[in-house]
Amino acid sequence: MGYEPGTAPEPVTLLIGEISEELMTIGESRAEYRIFDGISLDTARKTIGIGGIVFNVRPIIFRQLKDADAVALFICTAGPLIGEMSRKCMQEGDLLKGYVYDVIGSEIVENAADRMQEDIRETALSAGKKITNRFSPGYCGWDVAEQHTLFTFFRNNFCGITLTESALMNPVKSVSGIIGIGAGVRFAPYQCNMCDDKNCIYRNRKTKV
Amino acid sequence: MTELLEKISSCVEYGKVDINSPYPPAMKGQEGAFELTRQALDAGINPGEILEEALIPAMSRVGQKFSRNEIFVPQMLMAAKAMNSSMIHIRPYYLSGQTKRRGTFIIGTVTGDLHDIGKNLVAMMIEGAGWEVLDLGVDVSTEKYILAAEENPGAVIGLSALLTTTMENMRKTVAILKEKFPETKILVGGAPVTAEFCERIKADFYSPDPQGAVDYLKTIA
Ligand code: B12
Repeated sequence: MGYEPGTAPEPVTLLIGEISEELMTIGESRAEYRIFDGISLDTARKTIGIGGIVFNVRPIIFRQLKDADAVALFICTAGPLIGEMSRKCMQEGDLLKGYVYDVIGSEIVENAADRMQEDIRETALSAGKKITNRFSPGYCGWDVAEQHTLFTFFRNNFCGITLTESALMNPVKSVSGIIGIGAGVRFAPYQCNMCDDKNCIYRNRKTKV
Repeated sequence: MTELLEKISSCVEYGKVDINSPYPPAMKGQEGAFELTRQALDAGINPGEILEEALIPAMSRVGQKFSRNEIFVPQMLMAAKAMNSSMIHIRPYYLSGQTKRRGTFIIGTVTGDLHDIGKNLVAMMIEGAGWEVLDLGVDVSTEKYILAAEENPGAVIGLSALLTTTMENMRKTVAILKEKFPETKILVGGAPVTAEFCERIKADFYSPDPQGAVDYLKTIA
């Protein structure tokens, strides 16, 4: 939300506690990934091919993936309920509560993605490999519309995520993307260094809540 | 008199809704925007004066602090809630025509986009600046904007988009609106939108935050 630790006003911290507890018991988040070996990397075009299907990930992400010999494609969601609860609060005039639901929803999907990433990391590790950070269409120059290509790998996904024509995932609290796997890839502990979006609120988020 | 107005103003600024609201701690147990506005009206203060001298300046301070990153979205929402509690008493005077608004602002998130938090914040702050706000919601088709513009001649229109894909829909909607209503001012915003994009699609104004939109509206009404 932007606050330095310990500086958020009381109703905000109270609501965060209350809603986190409520949502903990619901546990609707889901993640799904598929690992593909035998990928083709085109250094000139900065693209990654999986069985004839090509992702135009652009230079920033390509640089991170260029040493991979496999990739994991993933989709992940916090589920539909959280968005509905947020909207309901907003409509009833409880804007603050609606907003806290919204922010926690983002946090839930990010956490689910973290756990999924950990799972992929362990799988890779058992084969003596490492993983990169996760990258999403719509970030670092990768066209958000390429989610359409990504979703061809997840027809009938058990996460229940659908994609609109405008490449918006429904439920809104969802993320999609790619992770590189290989003996020679690197995990960047501070991902923001490789991106140049100065307006991104995730920048420096480690120090803020 | 002015003391009461000042009190109302700081209640709104700090999100003190009514006597029961525990926030901010320093105002615990004290009357809030709801009670004080009633008192002001009962004391014969003109509703327009409450609006101009207390509510609008309070929301403007809130918007400025938000622009400077001194407060964040939750405090802006709390202020808006306090403002709304005050408006419960003032709204009837709008309906009777005794108090006038600065104009009408139509806002919506463009076709294909479901994001609404940012748009809601803009709507709230513009309402707080004394405008009547017509919120068309999310995934708003060009036809809906056209209908609203026809029903509200002279209204200003705001469009929000949060994905680069839906920015394309924003461009299309703006083009059609400008063709049909060349005089209508159009504001655009949302995370991926820029001033440069605004210029390219021939919208009138871009702001990265609500206060910029409020400041712009002041220059045209
Ligand atoms: C939190 C977040 C998420 C969360 C929650 C998403 C949600 N919408 O609820 C999660 C993690 C789920 C997520 C997912 C994704 N996200 Co995201 N996300 C964000 C983030 C960091 C903040 C968005 C937010 O809630 N902001 C808070 C609100 C209050 O701000 P706001 O809506 O921008 O509104 C303010 C201003 O823009 C302005 N404003 C808004 N409308 C208007 C209108 C007018 C007229 C005016 C004057 C002003 C104005 O005023 C508001 C108040 O200040 C932004 C980056 C950023 N810094 O904004 C990316 C961002 C929106 N996401 C982005 C992307 C790409 C995605 C994904 C597609 C990634 C992926 N492949 O998984 C998915 C899509 C999800 C989906 N359902 O399809 C991109 C979108 C741009 C693009 N490339 O298309 C952004 C901009 C990040 C980036 N790359 O720069 N995301």
